Amino acid sequence: MQASSGMLTKFESKSSRAKGIAFHPKRPWILVSLHSSTIQLWDYRMGTLIDRFEEHDGPVRGVDFHKTQPLFVSGGDDYKIKVWSYQTRRCLFTLNGHLDYIRTVFFHHELPWIVSASDDQTIRIWNWQNRSLLCTMTGHNHYAMCAQFHPKEDLVVSASLDQSVRVWDISGLRKKHSAPTSMSFEDQVNRANQNQTDMFGNTDAVVKFVLEGHDRGVNWVAFHPTMPLIVSAGDDRLIKLWRMSETKAWEVDTCRGHFANASGCLFHPHQDLILSAGEDKTIRVWDLNKRTAVHTFKRENDRFWVIAAHPEINLFAAGHDNGVMVFKLERERPASTVYQNQLFYITKEKHVKSYDFQKNVESPTLLSLKKLGSPWVPPRTLSYNPSERAVLVTTPADGGSYELINLPREGSGATDATDSRRGQGNSAIFVARNRFAVLNTSSQTVDIKDLQNNTTRSFKPPVGTSDIYFGGTGNLLIITPTAVHLYDIQQKKTTAELAVNGVKYVVWSNDGLYAALLSKHNVTIVSKTLEQISTLHETIRIKSATWDDAGVLLYSTLNHVKYTLLNGDNGIVRTLDQTVYLVRVKGRNVYCLDRSAKPKILQIDPTEYRFKLALVKRNYEEMLHIIQNSSLVGQSIIAYLQKKGYPEIALQFVQDPTTRFELAIECGNLEVAVEMAKQLDRPKLWTRLSTEALAHGNHSIVEMCYQKLKNFDKLSFLYLTTGDEAKLSRMAKIAEHRGDFTSRFQNALYLGEVEDRIQMFKEIDLYPLAYMTAKSHGLEEECQSILEATGLTEDQLNLPTFGEPLAPPKPVVPTFKANWPTKATSQSVFEKALLGQMEGLSLEDETAVNGAGEEAEEATMGDALIEGDEDEDAAGWDMGEDIVPEAEEGFVNVETADTGGAGSSEADLWARNSPLAVDHVAGGSFETAMQLLNRQVGAVNFVPLKPRFLEVYQASKTYLPASAGLPPLINYVRRTVEESDPRKVLPIIPRDLEHLASNDLQLGYKLMKENNLKDGLPVFRNILHSVLINAVGSDSEVAEAKKLINSAAEYTLAMSIELQRRSLDPSELQRTLELAAYFTIPKIQVPHRQLALLNAMNLSMRNKNYNTALSFANRILANGGSPKILETARRAKTQCERNPNDAVEIEFDQFAEFEVCAASFTPIYSGTAYEECAFDGSKYHTKYKGTVCTVCQVCEVGKHGSGLKLFG
Amino acid sequence: MDPYSAEGELINIHNHFHQGQYTEVVDFDVSSLSAENALPARVLQLRARIALGQAEDVLADVQGEKEPELEAVSALAEQALGNNDKAVEIVESLAQSAGDNATVQILGGTVLAAAGKSEDALALLGKHEGSLDAVALIVQIHLQNNRNDLALKAVTEARRWAQDSLLVNLAESWVGLRLGGERYQQAFYVFEELAQAPATSSVRTLVSQAVAELHLGRTEEAQAALDQALKKDPGYTEAIANLLVLNVITGSKTQQELTSSLVQANPEHPLLTDLNEKSELFDKAASKYSAKVSA
Repeated sequence: MQASSGMLTKFESKSSRAKGIAFHPKRPWILVSLHSSTIQLWDYRMGTLIDRFEEHDGPVRGVDFHKTQPLFVSGGDDYKIKVWSYQTRRCLFTLNGHLDYIRTVFFHHELPWIVSASDDQTIRIWNWQNRSLLCTMTGHNHYAMCAQFHPKEDLVVSASLDQSVRVWDISGLRKKHSAPTSMSFEDQVNRANQNQTDMFGNTDAVVKFVLEGHDRGVNWVAFHPTMPLIVSAGDDRLIKLWRMSETKAWEVDTCRGHFANASGCLFHPHQDLILSAGEDKTIRVWDLNKRTAVHTFKRENDRFWVIAAHPEINLFAAGHDNGVMVFKLERERPASTVYQNQLFYITKEKHVKSYDFQKNVESPTLLSLKKLGSPWVPPRTLSYNPSERAVLVTTPADGGSYELINLPREGSGATDATDSRRGQGNSAIFVARNRFAVLNTSSQTVDIKDLQNNTTRSFKPPVGTSDIYFGGTGNLLIITPTAVHLYDIQQKKTTAELAVNGVKYVVWSNDGLYAALLSKHNVTIVSKTLEQISTLHETIRIKSATWDDAGVLLYSTLNHVKYTLLNGDNGIVRTLDQTVYLVRVKGRNVYCLDRSAKPKILQIDPTEYRFKLALVKRNYEEMLHIIQNSSLVGQSIIAYLQKKGYPEIALQFVQDPTTRFELAIECGNLEVAVEMAKQLDRPKLWTRLSTEALAHGNHSIVEMCYQKLKNFDKLSFLYLTTGDEAKLSRMAKIAEHRGDFTSRFQNALYLGEVEDRIQMFKEIDLYPLAYMTAKSHGLEEECQSILEATGLTEDQLNLPTFGEPLAPPKPVVPTFKANWPTKATSQSVFEKALLGQMEGLSLEDETAVNGAGEEAEEATMGDALIEGDEDEDAAGWDMGEDIVPEAEEGFVNVETADTGGAGSSEADLWARNSPLAVDHVAGGSFETAMQLLNRQVGAVNFVPLKPRFLEVYQASKTYLPASAGLPPLINYVRRTVEESDPRKVLPIIPRDLEHLASNDLQLGYKLMKENNLKDGLPVFRNILHSVLINAVGSDSEVAEAKKLINSAAEYTLAMSIELQRRSLDPSELQRTLELAAYFTIPKIQVPHRQLALLNAMNLSMRNKNYNTALSFANRILANGGSPKILETARRAKTQCERNPNDAVEIEFDQFAEFEVCAASFTPIYSGTAYEECAFDGSKYHTKYKGTVCTVCQVCEVGKHGSGLKLFG
Repeated sequence: MDPYSAEGELINIHNHFHQGQYTEVVDFDVSSLSAENALPARVLQLRARIALGQAEDVLADVQGEKEPELEAVSALAEQALGNNDKAVEIVESLAQSAGDNATVQILGGTVLAAAGKSEDALALLGKHEGSLDAVALIVQIHLQNNRNDLALKAVTEARRWAQDSLLVNLAESWVGLRLGGERYQQAFYVFEELAQAPATSSVRTLVSQAVAELHLGRTEEAQAALDQALKKDPGYTEAIANLLVLNVITGSKTQQELTSSLVQANPEHPLLTDLNEKSELFDKAASKYSAKVSA
């Protein structure tokens, strides 16, 4: 038995000897009572110590959580039982009574009772609500080591060093202490009597069974949660299983294995297992039914003292010399794998099932794996091979083994795997369609095996390899404890290596470009060449991960679903209330498996990570879409954007003016800043704005700010620098008005206004300065008047020497009229995208309208096509097989010939396999193809068909490079891809009917609309030629092909007529008008016919043929459609109706029914004889019989063949 | 031990060669090889250089060498330089003197097959004793002769004794692409596996993958693979040729430029010669017909 298999340690603590353990029933907490008198409260999930309780004196041996209340109880060597509240973090009260060490304490599951076992040989039951001793159970004659309530019945079981286990009936006690609802007198008497008998200590709790069998002291005993079973552990190193009935109890069996005192034991809460722990440093797991050892977990140095089970989830804890460990017996991660839209997984019952993401349905059981591995060990991994529909399952049982099984086509209930191949190995995965790799960790080899389970190659992986994963085509990812290697299977060497510790799982992105390496607390994202892209750390365990289609990794921890982008930005998507394993994310749904291996769908809001992703990819449209369509607001995203340097994008989200202002300033968006500043109107903001605007050189905003701030000095200076003299003088006036002389002086100085300055000096009695100013500017009169005013003479003054008078420079450029070149980037790419998007939207609207129009056109076209003649002779289609050469004989020859010599190529077969001209063309048999066409539709002029012939021929051959030095191998492309019978294979046809209708035909329409008839004509002819050499898949498609031919022929004729008209000399007025009229006859689409009619109407009007024009106008109005055309027609109509006469006589009878001869462009009136082209149906006067059709330019007019064959 | 087997020294260089990774072959470090494998390795490198268009250098390199292997290489080089007759001459004399030599068989077979003497080539290759190279050539020659049945036989036989070999996989895929049906997909798997793994990817495997996709009717994927190939080597003729074919199938219109680049890369390419031939055939056949009345 391997010690390593199965044991999954989840938490370990270091402390002194742990004597008592209790799991919290709901929270991830565990209480540990220590030999050192401390009680610790741990969060085993986070690995943190929550609290310590230190009121006991000496070792604390027993501890238990209350099931519902925030309470726990402890009992220690100080003889005290203490009840604590972990909320208030203090001891509520102490129960005294025991006379020696207390070994165990347990709460009752529903009554307010505590049971305790003590070295004073008694077991006592206490009421913790009224804090009283209810009952003392005596009988053991040595230390009572353990006492527990039965989880349902009124029983207590106890173990003692007197080598016995006792079962006590406490129903009497319950009766006595249950709430006295309505008690009769008798009851009361009874009760009083009971109380009395209680004095003898026998009726409340009576010994029901004494179980003797251990021949040393018994350390622990426990009830089974549901069955009438008891398990006990003793110093005789044995684990004993006991069964009891109503009347008796007996020993069932003994589990032997511990080689030192067994200190603790319990039943597995959900499975038929017994767990025991002992001083031999082992934890042992036993099969309850067979009493055989299932697992042994050995610890190096520490003796185990106690073991406990979590009541709900699959967790256990054991206390030893140096602390506690929390562990699981088995992995709860269901083995699963995803292929396209299917999840394959293994249930707890070891059934392989699949789940369809799209349909959200589980399949029935595909396969049962009951026989795989040991019954107690679930399979570890599942690898799926879609091309073989096989699964590869590994299990850690028996030292690791794998099994390769083909899945049945359909699930048909629990079918046991019949056809399976198995072998030893720790990991096994498919690496190619027909290969899988198996890792054997003990021998450190990797074998590559084929589907027959034969080893095709084998190699030594890097030292210490613990696991292998798929590494992209032809590669393996080899996991060692400290690194991941990308290993090339073919070359047998490591091609890349990355140092990552403890990788446990590898998750590939859907496009195979990235992989996420999951270890306990880290996610490392690598490229397919094993270059590290990013890494992140979690404080709690990472359980699973899956990739979004857009390249976002979603991963689950114990309690969250989180995301990370390739650049390492991450965040929380949602919280989890139970552990799940993610398998797929699609839109708002996260698909996962829970611990019971049931597929579940979690709803998430992907907005945040999609937005961040769009931001990283600079996909502004996507961002815009998200902004417009979802409620992505909140401080976090703004902070994120700001932090990432996208204030301009953050700006789009914010409504709050202050924040908006800040952001606008930050990204230099002055317009928004101004708007916000106006709204808020605070001096501080204006100041900041002015500084920012000045930095941008946007002086008009600066001006506004200064005005708002009433910052006159700065404003004046701004006007000076911008050369705005008008405003500067107004500033001077304002200064004067305000009586601010300094300001006035400044403005005068800026303006160079000497008089004003002198005047000002005089006003404030600064005559010396006034005089000096006047003098220096040579204003003598002014000087004199000042002297007069002051009563001084010039001689009395002591003047300094003057320099040149200063004058402010005159502005050269009127800068104030426009801003300086401003700092760029005021508009972000994003905003541009926003603007662009707006335009785009309107464009889209337009196209949508166009699209609708087109649809309508198509509809009308369809109608028109349906209108088209269907009276074609259908019987003709079945003929023309006479030319098919006798294929059978030659073919059989090839099959049977055995020796050398060349065979016939597939291309030759095509001509034999098909009666269609196109298949002969593809096979290179041009002569027979021409023969066929000649017979079917009377083709005689093949020259125009040459490009089509070569096109078809060329399309069917590929060139496969094979051996070096030899020409490529020619292979033949088929339209019958599934077919491999050489008698049925047929070549691929380029530009099939569908392609022609959706590409060439649309191009032709477009050119028609654009009035580009010169280019349009060849397009329609080309359609005719392409349909002629073509094949279709069904009879209904034959009809469609005929419609296409008719339509193309009508357009060809129409365009030919109009082109002829345009080439006419202007003098040939009559013919011009006739051709314009005939242009309106071919059955082209209504919008196009409108164009023809408009053209004819305008021409007629211009040449005063009002009567004819009137008929055109009427036809236009009857057709309806574009209002513009209709308006024109209406106006023409009114004009024509005033004078319904024709100036030029033309051969065009608007009331007669006729068709246009394609050769002469003259009318063929209904009833007259005509000839036609057997292929395109164009009509001719009889005299053209025997000429080449002018429409298709291939067939002979009047030659009636067997009809075009397009479908074999 | 067979040096080309999975455990042999030459497995990697040999695989590189057949995956069309000629540069890797030339750059392969042969210094550590044991003495008996030095010559085969050299032959592989010389062949790779010929494939890379360095036939003249190779010819100079083997000038005056007397080993039949190297003489056979010289024949291959001569043929690559266009001296077909001389090449055939050398091979014919080698076939007499050293017809048992595996290298002579393979290179001789290649030269003869390329010269159109497929029966002689098959006769020479038929002498092989468990050489997969020879089997691959035999398969290809049969396919060229449209003897799919014989090619299939050869490859099925080889699979019995060398099932995981690269060459058997390749040869089987060649046959698969000819036979079609389910085998298209199988061939595709083989080529894709080679083309998409960085260690084995080459222009040749990419084009092979594209061809398989084309046969499977997956034109978009084929386009992607061809683009990938042309990115690696814009002058690779088979990539251009197959892209031409693909464009015809999808009805794209960018043919002129491609055709001229194909003419530039290899004016003798079967696609071009075939097309010219057919063009003449067309004109001849079309001339037999005319309208009763000329307009």
